[in-house]
Amino acid sequence: MTRLERFRSEVPQPDPDRLRANEDRLLAAIAQDARRLGQDEEGRPRRFGQDEEGRPRRFGQDAEGRPRRFGQDAEGRPRRAPFRLPRPAQGAQGRARRTASRLRRFGLVTGLAAALAAGAVVVATRRADPPAVIRTMPAAASEVLTRAAQNATRTPELHPEPGQFLVYESRTMDPATGEDRDRRPMRYLSRAVRKVWLPVDGDATGGFIEEEVLEPKPWPGWPIPPEARENLGRHGPSKLADFDDRAEFLRNDYAYVSRLPTDPRKMYEHLYTQLGNTRQDDTDAWDRVRGLLTEAYLPAAQRAALFRAAAAIPGVVTVEHAVDAAGRAGIAAARVDPVLGQRQEYIFDRETYLYLGERSVVTDAARAGAPVGTVLTSSAQLSVSVADHGPSAAARD
Amino acid sequence: MSGTSRAEVDDASCIERSRRDPEVFAEVFRRHAADITRYVTRRLGEDAADDVVAETFLAAFRQRDGYDLSRPSARPWLYGIATNLMRRHVRTEVRQLRVVERTGADPVTASFAERSDERLSAEASRRRLAGALAALPKGHRDALLLVAWGGLSYAEAAEALGVRLGTVQSRINRARGRLRAELGGINPSATVSEESVCE
Repeated sequence: MTRLERFRSEVPQPDPDRLRANEDRLLAAIAQDARRLGQDEEGRPRRFGQDEEGRPRRFGQDAEGRPRRFGQDAEGRPRRAPFRLPRPAQGAQGRARRTASRLRRFGLVTGLAAALAAGAVVVATRRADPPAVIRTMPAAASEVLTRAAQNATRTPELHPEPGQFLVYESRTMDPATGEDRDRRPMRYLSRAVRKVWLPVDGDATGGFIEEEVLEPKPWPGWPIPPEARENLGRHGPSKLADFDDRAEFLRNDYAYVSRLPTDPRKMYEHLYTQLGNTRQDDTDAWDRVRGLLTEAYLPAAQRAALFRAAAAIPGVVTVEHAVDAAGRAGIAAARVDPVLGQRQEYIFDRETYLYLGERSVVTDAARAGAPVGTVLTSSAQLSVSVADHGPSAAARD
Repeated sequence: MSGTSRAEVDDASCIERSRRDPEVFAEVFRRHAADITRYVTRRLGEDAADDVVAETFLAAFRQRDGYDLSRPSARPWLYGIATNLMRRHVRTEVRQLRVVERTGADPVTASFAERSDERLSAEASRRRLAGALAALPKGHRDALLLVAWGGLSYAEAAEALGVRLGTVQSRINRARGRLRAELGGINPSATVSEESVCE
Protein backbone atom coordinates (compact mmCIF):
# COMPACT_ATOMS: atom_id res chain seq x y z
CA MET A 1 0.00 0.00 0.00
CA THR A 2 1.26 3.45 -0.79
CA ARG A 3 0.95 6.38 1.60
CA LEU A 4 -1.71 7.93 -0.55
CA GLU A 5 -3.69 4.70 -0.80
CA ARG A 6 -3.39 4.18 2.92
CA PHE A 7 -4.63 7.67 3.80
CA ARG A 8 -8.22 7.24 5.14
CA SER A 9 -8.24 3.62 4.03
CA GLU A 10 -9.92 2.82 7.36
CA VAL A 11 -13.14 4.23 5.91
CA PRO A 12 -15.17 1.02 5.52
CA GLN A 13 -17.67 -0.03 2.91
CA PRO A 14 -21.03 1.47 3.93
CA ASP A 15 -23.18 -0.79 6.08
CA PRO A 16 -26.23 -2.37 4.42
CA ASP A 17 -28.74 -0.27 6.38
CA ARG A 18 -27.20 2.95 5.14
CA LEU A 19 -27.25 1.66 1.57
CA ARG A 20 -30.82 0.44 1.84
CA ALA A 21 -31.93 3.80 3.17
CA ASN A 22 -30.35 5.47 0.17
CA GLU A 23 -31.91 2.93 -2.15
CA ASP A 24 -35.33 3.61 -0.60
CA ARG A 25 -34.69 7.31 -1.10
CA LEU A 26 -33.80 6.74 -4.73
CA LEU A 27 -36.83 4.56 -5.39
CA ALA A 28 -39.10 7.13 -3.80
CA ALA A 29 -37.59 9.86 -5.96
CA ILE A 30 -37.85 7.67 -9.05
CA ALA A 31 -41.51 6.95 -8.37
CA GLN A 32 -42.15 10.65 -7.86
CA ASP A 33 -40.15 11.54 -10.95
CA ALA A 34 -42.02 9.08 -13.11
CA ARG A 35 -45.28 10.77 -12.14
CA ARG A 36 -43.92 14.28 -12.28
CA LEU A 37 -42.11 13.88 -15.55
CA GLY A 38 -45.15 12.76 -17.38
CA GLN A 39 -45.14 9.02 -17.09
CA ASP A 40 -47.74 7.02 -15.33
CA GLU A 41 -46.88 3.98 -13.23
CA GLU A 42 -46.57 1.88 -16.38
CA GLY A 43 -44.11 4.34 -17.85
CA ARG A 44 -46.59 5.54 -20.49
CA PRO A 45 -46.32 9.19 -21.40
CA ARG A 46 -48.71 11.47 -19.60
CA ARG A 47 -49.22 15.15 -20.08
CA PHE A 48 -48.71 17.06 -16.89
CA GLY A 49 -51.99 17.72 -15.12
CA GLN A 50 -53.92 15.29 -17.26
CA ASP A 51 -55.12 11.83 -16.58
CA GLU A 52 -54.70 8.82 -18.85
CA GLU A 53 -57.58 9.96 -21.02
CA GLY A 54 -56.19 13.46 -21.31
CA ARG A 55 -58.83 14.94 -18.99
CA PRO A 56 -57.58 17.65 -16.70
CA ARG A 57 -56.62 16.27 -13.34
CA ARG A 58 -56.90 18.07 -10.08
CA PHE A 59 -54.11 17.64 -7.59
CA GLY A 60 -54.97 14.95 -5.06
CA GLN A 61 -57.71 13.40 -7.18
CA ASP A 62 -57.80 10.06 -8.86
CA ALA A 63 -58.86 9.40 -12.42
CA GLU A 64 -62.54 9.57 -11.47
CA GLY A 65 -62.05 12.90 -9.73
CA ARG A 66 -62.51 11.36 -6.27
CA PRO A 67 -60.05 12.47 -3.65
CA ARG A 68 -56.96 10.38 -4.17
CA ARG A 69 -56.44 8.13 -1.23
CA PHE A 70 -53.27 6.67 0.04
CA GLY A 71 -53.19 2.93 0.36
CA GLN A 72 -56.36 1.84 -1.30
CA ASP A 73 -56.43 -1.56 -2.84
CA ALA A 74 -58.39 -2.48 -5.94
CA GLU A 75 -61.57 -2.78 -3.90
CA GLY A 76 -61.04 0.68 -2.54
CA ARG A 77 -60.29 -0.51 0.97
CA PRO A 78 -58.16 2.15 2.70
CA ARG A 79 -57.17 3.23 6.32
CA ARG A 80 -56.30 5.44 9.49
CA ALA A 81 -56.55 5.75 13.38
CA PRO A 82 -57.28 7.63 16.65
CA PHE A 83 -55.05 10.44 17.77
CA ARG A 84 -52.95 9.18 20.60
CA LEU A 85 -49.50 9.93 21.78
CA PRO A 86 -47.06 7.93 23.81
CA ARG A 87 -48.60 6.87 27.09
CA PRO A 88 -46.84 8.09 30.20
CA ALA A 89 -44.01 5.83 31.25
CA GLN A 90 -46.15 4.54 34.12
CA GLY A 91 -49.86 4.32 33.46
CA ALA A 92 -50.74 5.72 36.87
CA GLN A 93 -48.80 8.91 36.22
CA GLY A 94 -51.00 9.90 33.35
CA ARG A 95 -53.49 11.82 35.38
CA ALA A 96 -52.87 15.23 33.92
CA ARG A 97 -56.07 17.15 33.94
CA ARG A 98 -55.67 20.00 31.49
CA THR A 99 -58.45 19.06 29.15
CA ALA A 100 -60.50 20.91 26.63
CA SER A 101 -64.00 21.14 28.04
CA ARG A 102 -65.62 20.15 24.77
CA LEU A 103 -63.62 16.95 24.82
CA ARG A 104 -64.45 16.22 28.40
CA ARG A 105 -67.23 13.72 28.76
CA PHE A 106 -68.81 12.91 32.10
CA GLY A 107 -65.53 13.07 33.92
CA LEU A 108 -63.71 10.96 31.36
CA VAL A 109 -60.65 12.16 29.64
CA THR A 110 -60.65 10.66 26.20
CA GLY A 111 -59.13 10.95 22.80
CA LEU A 112 -56.90 13.83 21.95
CA ALA A 113 -57.12 15.68 25.24
CA ALA A 114 -55.97 12.62 27.17
CA ALA A 115 -53.31 12.03 24.59
CA LEU A 116 -51.98 15.54 24.80
CA ALA A 117 -52.15 15.48 28.56
CA ALA A 118 -50.30 12.20 28.58
CA GLY A 119 -47.76 13.55 26.14
CA ALA A 120 -47.18 16.51 28.38
CA VAL A 121 -46.62 14.17 31.30
CA VAL A 122 -44.15 12.12 29.33
CA VAL A 123 -42.14 15.23 28.76
CA ALA A 124 -42.55 16.57 32.26
CA THR A 125 -41.36 13.39 33.92
CA ARG A 126 -38.27 12.93 31.73
CA ARG A 127 -34.87 14.00 32.87
CA ALA A 128 -33.91 17.24 31.17
CA ASP A 129 -30.54 15.94 30.03
CA PRO A 130 -30.53 12.84 27.87
CA PRO A 131 -28.84 9.77 29.30
CA ALA A 132 -25.21 9.29 28.44
CA VAL A 133 -25.84 6.02 26.65
CA ILE A 134 -26.62 6.67 23.03
CA ARG A 135 -28.80 4.02 21.48
CA THR A 136 -27.36 2.64 18.31
CA MET A 137 -29.59 0.68 16.03
CA PRO A 138 -29.16 -3.10 16.09
CA ALA A 139 -29.91 -5.30 13.10
CA ALA A 140 -33.56 -5.31 12.14
CA ALA A 141 -35.44 -8.32 13.47
CA SER A 142 -38.95 -7.78 12.20
CA GLU A 143 -39.64 -9.27 8.81
CA VAL A 144 -43.06 -7.59 8.65
CA LEU A 145 -41.64 -4.10 9.14
CA THR A 146 -38.76 -4.76 6.77
CA ARG A 147 -41.28 -5.76 4.10
CA ALA A 148 -43.37 -2.69 4.88
CA ALA A 149 -40.26 -0.55 4.38
CA GLN A 150 -39.50 -2.21 1.05
CA ASN A 151 -43.06 -1.56 -0.12
CA ALA A 152 -43.24 2.02 1.17
CA THR A 153 -42.07 3.45 -2.12
CA ARG A 154 -44.44 1.43 -4.28
CA THR A 155 -47.66 3.27 -3.65
CA PRO A 156 -48.84 6.52 -5.20
CA GLU A 157 -47.64 9.31 -3.00
CA LEU A 158 -49.63 12.26 -1.67
CA HIS A 159 -47.98 15.64 -2.00
CA PRO A 160 -49.75 17.93 0.43
CA GLU A 161 -48.74 21.58 0.22
CA PRO A 162 -48.52 24.20 2.96
CA GLY A 163 -51.97 25.63 3.63
CA GLN A 164 -53.72 22.38 2.76
CA PHE A 165 -55.13 19.76 5.10
CA LEU A 166 -54.53 16.05 5.40
CA VAL A 167 -57.83 14.31 6.01
CA TYR A 168 -57.84 11.03 7.93
CA GLU A 169 -60.84 8.75 8.26
CA SER A 170 -60.73 5.95 10.78
CA ARG A 171 -62.65 3.59 12.93
CA THR A 172 -61.56 3.36 16.54
CA MET A 173 -62.11 1.57 19.81
CA ASP A 174 -60.55 2.87 23.02
CA PRO A 175 -60.89 2.01 26.69
CA ALA A 176 -62.93 4.57 28.63
CA THR A 177 -62.41 4.50 32.37
CA GLY A 178 -63.68 6.95 34.92
CA GLU A 179 -66.46 7.57 37.40
CA ASP A 180 -70.16 7.67 36.76
CA ARG A 181 -72.43 10.38 38.24
CA ASP A 182 -72.62 8.49 41.52
CA ARG A 183 -68.84 8.48 41.72
CA ARG A 184 -68.68 4.75 41.11
CA PRO A 185 -65.89 3.47 38.91
CA MET A 186 -66.95 2.51 35.40
CA ARG A 187 -65.22 0.92 32.46
CA TYR A 188 -66.27 0.29 28.90
CA LEU A 189 -64.88 0.33 25.37
CA SER A 190 -65.79 3.46 23.42
CA ARG A 191 -66.18 3.13 19.64
CA ALA A 192 -66.32 5.76 16.93
CA VAL A 193 -65.84 6.59 13.28
CA ARG A 194 -63.62 9.66 13.06
CA LYS A 195 -62.80 12.11 10.33
CA VAL A 196 -60.00 14.48 11.21
CA TRP A 197 -58.60 17.42 9.23
CA LEU A 198 -55.05 18.31 10.23
CA PRO A 199 -53.16 21.27 8.78
CA VAL A 200 -50.10 20.33 6.73
CA ASP A 201 -48.04 22.64 8.88
CA GLY A 202 -48.73 23.43 12.51
CA ASP A 203 -50.20 21.65 15.48
CA ALA A 204 -53.51 19.96 16.26
CA THR A 205 -55.14 23.22 17.39
CA GLY A 206 -55.55 24.06 13.71
CA GLY A 207 -57.39 20.79 13.08
CA PHE A 208 -61.05 19.75 12.95
CA ILE A 209 -62.91 16.60 13.85
CA GLU A 210 -66.18 15.04 12.78
CA GLU A 211 -67.16 11.99 14.75
CA GLU A 212 -69.87 9.39 14.83
CA VAL A 213 -70.00 7.71 18.22
CA LEU A 214 -70.98 4.07 17.82
CA GLU A 215 -72.59 1.61 20.22
CA PRO A 216 -70.05 0.93 23.01
CA LYS A 217 -68.73 -2.50 23.88
CA PRO A 218 -68.45 -3.78 27.44
CA TRP A 219 -65.16 -4.10 29.24
CA PRO A 220 -65.12 -7.81 30.13
CA GLY A 221 -66.85 -8.25 33.51
CA TRP A 222 -68.18 -4.67 33.71
CA PRO A 223 -71.68 -3.38 32.89
CA ILE A 224 -71.97 -0.70 30.22
CA PRO A 225 -72.91 2.47 32.14
CA PRO A 226 -75.76 4.66 30.79
CA GLU A 227 -73.28 7.52 30.30
CA ALA A 228 -71.60 5.45 27.62
CA ARG A 229 -74.58 5.88 25.31
CA GLU A 230 -75.29 9.56 25.95
CA ASN A 231 -73.16 10.69 23.06
CA LEU A 232 -74.19 8.20 20.39
CA GLY A 233 -74.50 9.63 16.89
CA ARG A 234 -72.80 12.36 14.88
CA HIS A 235 -70.87 15.28 16.30
CA GLY A 236 -69.08 18.15 14.64
CA PRO A 237 -67.27 19.13 12.66
CA SER A 238 -65.66 21.04 15.50
CA LYS A 239 -62.24 22.28 16.50
CA LEU A 240 -59.98 19.32 17.19
CA ALA A 241 -58.03 20.64 20.16
CA ASP A 242 -57.71 23.76 22.28
CA PHE A 243 -54.07 23.14 23.04
CA ASP A 244 -51.24 21.02 21.75
CA ASP A 245 -48.21 21.21 23.96
CA ARG A 246 -46.36 18.18 22.76
CA ALA A 247 -42.59 18.32 22.82
CA GLU A 248 -41.06 19.19 19.46
CA PHE A 249 -39.76 15.65 18.92
CA LEU A 250 -43.27 14.22 19.28
CA ARG A 251 -44.75 16.38 16.54
CA ASN A 252 -46.35 14.50 13.67
CA ASP A 253 -47.62 17.20 11.33
CA TYR A 254 -46.57 16.77 7.70
CA ALA A 255 -44.23 19.77 7.70
CA TYR A 256 -42.32 18.26 10.62
CA VAL A 257 -42.31 14.61 9.55
CA SER A 258 -41.08 15.46 6.05
CA ARG A 259 -37.95 16.87 7.70
CA LEU A 260 -37.30 13.69 9.70
CA PRO A 261 -34.26 11.61 8.70
CA THR A 262 -34.45 9.17 5.80
CA ASP A 263 -31.58 7.16 7.29
CA PRO A 264 -33.00 4.37 9.49
CA ARG A 265 -30.22 4.79 12.05
CA LYS A 266 -31.00 8.46 12.47
CA MET A 267 -34.74 7.71 12.57
CA TYR A 268 -33.98 5.17 15.33
CA GLU A 269 -32.18 7.90 17.25
CA HIS A 270 -35.20 10.16 16.74
CA LEU A 271 -37.50 7.49 18.21
CA TYR A 272 -35.21 7.28 21.26
CA THR A 273 -34.95 11.05 21.81
CA GLN A 274 -34.46 11.58 25.57
CA LEU A 275 -34.87 7.85 26.16
CA GLY A 276 -32.30 5.48 27.62
CA ASN A 277 -31.57 1.80 27.61
CA THR A 278 -34.22 0.07 29.67
CA ARG A 279 -37.11 -2.10 28.50
CA GLN A 280 -39.47 0.73 29.42
CA ASP A 281 -37.54 2.98 27.04
CA ASP A 282 -38.05 0.39 24.30
CA THR A 283 -41.76 0.40 25.12
CA ASP A 284 -41.85 4.18 24.82
CA ALA A 285 -40.00 4.08 21.50
CA TRP A 286 -42.49 1.50 20.19
CA ASP A 287 -45.30 3.79 21.34
CA ARG A 288 -43.77 6.70 19.46
CA VAL A 289 -43.96 4.66 16.27
CA ARG A 290 -47.73 4.77 16.74
CA GLY A 291 -47.59 8.56 16.91
CA LEU A 292 -46.08 8.54 13.42
CA LEU A 293 -48.59 5.99 12.07
CA THR A 294 -51.75 7.43 13.58
CA GLU A 295 -53.38 10.40 11.88
CA ALA A 296 -49.99 11.15 10.42
CA TYR A 297 -48.65 10.83 6.88
CA LEU A 298 -44.93 10.47 6.18
CA PRO A 299 -43.30 10.85 2.76
CA ALA A 300 -42.25 7.44 1.43
CA ALA A 301 -38.56 7.83 2.26
CA GLN A 302 -39.29 8.74 5.88
CA ARG A 303 -41.94 6.02 6.10
CA ALA A 304 -39.42 3.42 4.92
CA ALA A 305 -36.89 4.70 7.46
CA LEU A 306 -39.51 4.57 10.22
CA PHE A 307 -40.38 0.94 9.46
CA ARG A 308 -36.70 -0.07 9.33
CA ALA A 309 -36.00 1.74 12.59
CA ALA A 310 -39.07 0.24 14.28
CA ALA A 311 -37.99 -3.21 13.09
CA ALA A 312 -34.84 -2.83 15.17
CA ILE A 313 -36.52 -1.96 18.47
CA PRO A 314 -35.75 -4.85 20.87
CA GLY A 315 -38.60 -7.24 21.56
CA VAL A 316 -40.56 -6.88 18.33
CA VAL A 317 -42.40 -10.06 17.36
CA THR A 318 -44.64 -11.08 14.47
CA VAL A 319 -48.33 -11.83 14.96
CA GLU A 320 -49.49 -13.93 12.04
CA HIS A 321 -53.20 -13.11 12.32
CA ALA A 322 -54.38 -9.72 13.49
CA VAL A 323 -57.65 -7.95 12.72
CA ASP A 324 -58.13 -4.19 12.61
CA ALA A 325 -61.17 -2.23 13.81
CA ALA A 326 -62.78 -2.54 10.38
CA GLY A 327 -62.47 -6.34 10.46
CA ARG A 328 -59.65 -6.46 7.92
CA ALA A 329 -57.25 -9.31 8.60
CA GLY A 330 -53.53 -8.77 8.27
CA ILE A 331 -50.14 -9.57 9.72
CA ALA A 332 -48.76 -7.52 12.60
CA ALA A 333 -45.48 -6.37 14.08
CA ALA A 334 -46.00 -6.28 17.81
CA ARG A 335 -44.33 -5.72 21.15
CA VAL A 336 -45.45 -6.70 24.63
CA ASP A 337 -45.70 -3.86 27.14
CA PRO A 338 -45.03 -5.73 30.40
CA VAL A 339 -46.22 -2.80 32.55
CA LEU A 340 -49.66 -2.60 30.96
CA GLY A 341 -49.81 -6.35 30.33
CA GLN A 342 -50.79 -5.73 26.72
CA ARG A 343 -49.31 -6.51 23.32
CA GLN A 344 -49.27 -3.47 21.06
CA GLU A 345 -49.74 -4.53 17.42
CA TYR A 346 -49.28 -2.56 14.21
CA ILE A 347 -51.22 -4.37 11.49
CA PHE A 348 -50.25 -4.53 7.80
CA ASP A 349 -51.96 -5.93 4.73
CA ARG A 350 -50.58 -9.39 4.05
CA GLU A 351 -50.16 -8.72 0.32
CA THR A 352 -49.23 -5.07 -0.04
CA TYR A 353 -47.77 -4.47 3.43
CA LEU A 354 -49.71 -1.23 3.66
CA TYR A 355 -50.53 -0.10 7.19
CA LEU A 356 -54.09 -1.05 8.16
CA GLY A 357 -54.35 -0.07 11.81
CA GLU A 358 -53.39 -1.13 15.29
CA ARG A 359 -54.73 -2.97 18.29
CA SER A 360 -53.72 -3.89 21.81
CA VAL A 361 -54.33 -7.38 23.15
CA VAL A 362 -54.18 -8.38 26.82
CA THR A 363 -51.21 -10.63 27.67
CA ASP A 364 -51.28 -10.28 31.47
CA ALA A 365 -54.79 -10.40 32.96
CA ALA A 366 -53.78 -9.07 36.39
CA ARG A 367 -52.01 -6.01 35.02
CA ALA A 368 -54.54 -5.21 32.32
CA GLY A 369 -57.64 -5.95 34.39
CA ALA A 370 -59.14 -8.06 31.62
CA PRO A 371 -58.81 -11.67 30.48
CA VAL A 372 -55.84 -12.65 28.33
CA GLY A 373 -56.71 -12.19 24.66
CA THR A 374 -59.12 -9.28 25.19
CA VAL A 375 -58.76 -6.57 22.54
CA LEU A 376 -58.87 -3.26 24.43
CA THR A 377 -57.70 -0.81 21.78
CA SER A 378 -58.30 -1.11 18.09
CA SER A 379 -58.24 1.13 15.05
CA ALA A 380 -58.51 1.00 11.29
CA GLN A 381 -57.10 3.68 9.06
CA LEU A 382 -59.75 3.93 6.36
CA SER A 383 -58.35 6.70 4.21
CA VAL A 384 -55.87 9.52 3.98
CA SER A 385 -56.48 12.31 1.48
CA VAL A 386 -55.54 15.91 0.81
CA ALA A 387 -58.01 18.80 1.00
CA ASP A 388 -57.62 22.48 0.23
CA HIS A 389 -59.90 23.47 3.12
CA GLY A 390 -61.12 22.20 6.44
CA PRO A 391 -64.84 21.49 6.85
CA SER A 392 -66.94 24.52 5.90
CA ALA A 393 -67.39 27.10 8.65
CA ALA A 394 -71.17 26.74 8.44
CA ALA A 395 -70.94 23.09 9.35
CA ARG A 396 -68.79 23.65 12.42
CA ASP A 397 -70.05 23.74 15.99
CA MET B 1 -37.04 -5.23 -3.95
CA SER B 2 -37.65 -6.37 -7.47
CA GLY B 3 -34.93 -7.28 -9.89
CA THR B 4 -32.18 -9.77 -9.41
CA SER B 5 -28.50 -9.13 -9.86
CA ARG B 6 -27.43 -10.96 -12.95
CA ALA B 7 -23.76 -10.56 -13.65
CA GLU B 8 -24.16 -11.43 -17.32
CA VAL B 9 -26.37 -8.39 -17.89
CA ASP B 10 -24.18 -5.31 -18.20
CA ASP B 11 -25.00 -1.84 -16.87
CA ALA B 12 -25.89 -0.57 -20.32
CA SER B 13 -28.71 -3.13 -20.66
CA CYS B 14 -30.04 -2.20 -17.21
CA ILE B 15 -30.01 1.48 -18.11
CA GLU B 16 -31.72 0.74 -21.41
CA ARG B 17 -34.42 -1.28 -19.62
CA SER B 18 -34.81 1.47 -17.02
CA ARG B 19 -35.87 3.89 -19.77
CA ARG B 20 -39.06 1.85 -20.07
CA ASP B 21 -39.22 0.54 -16.53
CA PRO B 22 -37.80 3.16 -14.15
CA GLU B 23 -37.58 0.82 -11.16
CA VAL B 24 -34.95 -1.27 -12.92
CA PHE B 25 -32.57 1.60 -12.25
CA ALA B 26 -32.34 0.38 -8.65
CA GLU B 27 -30.14 -2.42 -10.03
CA VAL B 28 -27.56 0.16 -11.17
CA PHE B 29 -27.64 1.52 -7.62
CA ARG B 30 -27.16 -1.92 -6.08
CA ARG B 31 -24.13 -2.59 -8.23
CA HIS B 32 -22.24 0.63 -7.63
CA ALA B 33 -23.56 2.44 -4.57
CA ALA B 34 -21.29 0.76 -2.02
CA ASP B 35 -18.05 1.64 -3.85
CA ILE B 36 -19.14 5.17 -4.67
CA THR B 37 -20.35 5.74 -1.12
CA ARG B 38 -17.02 4.66 0.30
CA TYR B 39 -15.13 6.83 -2.20
CA VAL B 40 -17.17 9.94 -1.48
CA THR B 41 -17.07 9.26 2.26
CA ARG B 42 -13.30 9.07 2.11
CA ARG B 43 -13.18 12.49 0.49
CA LEU B 44 -15.95 14.37 2.30
CA GLY B 45 -16.98 12.41 5.39
CA GLU B 46 -20.12 10.44 6.12
CA ASP B 47 -22.75 13.18 6.31
CA ALA B 48 -21.99 14.94 3.05
CA ALA B 49 -21.46 11.58 1.35
CA ASP B 50 -25.01 10.38 1.91
CA ASP B 51 -26.41 13.44 0.18
CA VAL B 52 -23.90 13.37 -2.66
CA VAL B 53 -24.54 9.67 -3.32
CA ALA B 54 -28.31 10.13 -3.25
CA GLU B 55 -28.01 13.08 -5.64
CA THR B 56 -25.59 11.17 -7.85
CA PHE B 57 -27.98 8.31 -8.51
CA LEU B 58 -31.00 10.56 -8.89
CA ALA B 59 -29.08 12.72 -11.38
CA ALA B 60 -27.92 9.58 -13.20
CA PHE B 61 -31.50 8.33 -13.31
CA ARG B 62 -32.65 11.62 -14.81
CA GLN B 63 -29.84 11.55 -17.38
CA ARG B 64 -30.32 7.88 -18.30
CA ASP B 65 -31.74 8.74 -21.72
CA GLY B 66 -28.40 10.33 -22.58
CA TYR B 67 -26.29 7.35 -21.52
CA ASP B 68 -24.08 5.97 -24.27
CA LEU B 69 -25.27 2.35 -24.48
CA SER B 70 -22.06 1.29 -26.22
CA ARG B 71 -20.32 1.58 -22.83
CA PRO B 72 -21.07 -1.62 -20.93
CA SER B 73 -19.90 -0.35 -17.51
CA ALA B 74 -21.58 2.68 -15.94
CA ARG B 75 -18.77 3.11 -13.41
CA PRO B 76 -16.92 6.02 -15.09
CA TRP B 77 -20.21 7.77 -15.80
CA LEU B 78 -21.36 7.48 -12.18
CA TYR B 79 -18.00 8.56 -10.75
CA GLY B 80 -18.10 11.51 -13.13
CA ILE B 81 -21.53 12.60 -11.86
CA ALA B 82 -20.37 12.17 -8.26
CA THR B 83 -17.24 14.22 -9.00
CA ASN B 84 -19.33 17.05 -10.44
CA LEU B 85 -21.62 17.02 -7.42
CA MET B 86 -18.62 17.09 -5.08
CA ARG B 87 -17.61 20.45 -6.59
CA ARG B 88 -20.07 22.13 -4.26
CA HIS B 89 -18.23 20.60 -1.32
CA VAL B 90 -14.69 21.65 -2.26
CA ARG B 91 -14.44 24.02 0.65
CA THR B 92 -15.56 21.31 3.06
CA GLU B 93 -13.05 18.88 1.65
CA VAL B 94 -10.17 21.34 1.82
CA ARG B 95 -11.12 22.50 5.31
CA GLN B 96 -11.12 18.93 6.60
CA LEU B 97 -7.77 18.17 4.98
CA ARG B 98 -6.36 21.30 6.64
CA VAL B 99 -7.63 20.04 10.01
CA VAL B 100 -5.66 16.83 9.50
CA GLU B 101 -2.63 18.88 8.54
CA ARG B 102 -2.86 21.10 11.62
CA THR B 103 -3.93 18.61 14.28
CA GLY B 104 -3.38 15.12 12.97
CA ALA B 105 -7.02 14.36 13.85
CA ASP B 106 -9.18 13.58 10.84
CA PRO B 107 -12.86 14.64 10.93
CA VAL B 108 -13.56 12.30 8.03
CA THR B 109 -12.41 9.17 9.83
CA ALA B 110 -13.46 10.23 13.34
CA SER B 111 -16.71 8.28 13.08
CA PHE B 112 -14.72 5.15 12.23
CA ALA B 113 -12.37 5.74 15.13
CA GLU B 114 -12.52 2.18 16.36
CA ARG B 115 -11.03 1.09 13.06
CA SER B 116 -8.49 3.85 12.64
CA ASP B 117 -4.97 3.42 13.84
CA GLU B 118 -3.78 5.95 16.40
CA ARG B 119 -0.22 5.72 15.21
CA LEU B 120 -1.28 6.47 11.66
CA SER B 121 -2.95 9.73 12.56
CA ALA B 122 0.00 10.84 14.59
CA GLU B 123 2.31 10.32 11.66
CA ALA B 124 3.85 13.58 10.50
CA SER B 125 3.93 12.44 6.90
CA ARG B 126 0.17 11.82 7.01
CA ARG B 127 -0.41 15.39 8.17
CA ARG B 128 1.81 16.73 5.40
CA LEU B 129 0.08 14.51 2.85
CA ALA B 130 -3.29 15.96 3.86
CA GLY B 131 -1.91 19.48 3.48
CA ALA B 132 -0.52 18.62 0.08
CA LEU B 133 -3.85 17.14 -1.08
CA ALA B 134 -5.62 20.29 0.12
CA ALA B 135 -3.23 22.45 -1.91
CA LEU B 136 -3.82 20.61 -5.21
CA PRO B 137 -6.01 22.20 -7.86
CA LYS B 138 -9.36 20.41 -7.73
CA GLY B 139 -9.11 18.90 -11.20
CA HIS B 140 -5.76 17.39 -10.23
CA ARG B 141 -7.08 16.05 -6.92
CA ASP B 142 -10.07 14.53 -8.74
CA ALA B 143 -7.89 12.74 -11.27
CA LEU B 144 -5.41 11.52 -8.67
CA LEU B 145 -8.01 10.22 -6.21
CA LEU B 146 -10.27 8.61 -8.84
CA VAL B 147 -7.27 6.45 -9.68
CA ALA B 148 -5.69 6.03 -6.22
CA TRP B 149 -8.90 5.65 -4.17
CA GLY B 150 -11.64 4.98 -6.69
CA GLY B 151 -9.59 2.32 -8.42
CA LEU B 152 -10.41 3.67 -11.89
CA SER B 153 -7.98 3.18 -14.74
CA TYR B 154 -6.52 6.29 -16.39
CA ALA B 155 -8.91 5.73 -19.30
CA GLU B 156 -11.93 5.44 -16.97
CA ALA B 157 -10.85 8.54 -15.07
CA ALA B 158 -10.61 10.42 -18.36
CA GLU B 159 -14.12 9.30 -19.22
CA ALA B 160 -15.42 10.24 -15.76
CA LEU B 161 -13.88 13.70 -15.91
CA GLY B 162 -14.78 14.26 -19.54
CA VAL B 163 -11.18 15.03 -20.50
CA ARG B 164 -8.67 13.39 -22.82
CA LEU B 165 -6.51 10.55 -21.58
CA GLY B 166 -3.39 12.70 -22.01
CA THR B 167 -4.88 15.34 -19.72
CA VAL B 168 -5.47 12.78 -16.95
CA GLN B 169 -1.93 11.48 -17.29
CA SER B 170 -0.40 14.92 -17.04
CA ARG B 171 -2.68 15.94 -14.14
CA ILE B 172 -1.82 12.84 -12.15
CA ASN B 173 1.89 13.18 -12.85
CA ARG B 174 1.89 16.80 -11.75
CA ALA B 175 -0.19 15.98 -8.67
CA ARG B 176 2.20 13.22 -7.65
CA GLY B 177 5.10 15.63 -8.15
CA ARG B 178 3.47 18.21 -5.90
CA LEU B 179 2.83 15.64 -3.19
CA ARG B 180 6.41 14.39 -3.38
CA ALA B 181 7.71 17.93 -2.96
CA GLU B 182 5.42 18.62 0.00
CA LEU B 183 6.40 15.39 1.67
CA GLY B 184 10.03 16.44 1.59
CA GLY B 185 11.08 14.07 -1.10
CA ILE B 186 9.13 11.08 0.19
CA ASN B 187 7.43 9.48 -2.75
CA PRO B 188 3.74 9.36 -1.78
CA SER B 189 3.21 6.48 -4.14
CA ALA B 190 6.13 4.46 -2.93
CA THR B 191 5.10 1.38 -1.04
CA VAL B 192 5.36 1.90 2.69
CA SER B 193 7.63 -0.58 4.40
CA GLU B 194 5.65 -3.35 6.01
CA GLU B 195 6.69 -2.76 9.62
CA SER B 196 5.07 0.66 9.72
CA VAL B 197 1.73 -0.70 8.55
CA CYS B 198 -0.47 -2.08 11.26
CA GLU B 199 -3.21 -4.08 9.62
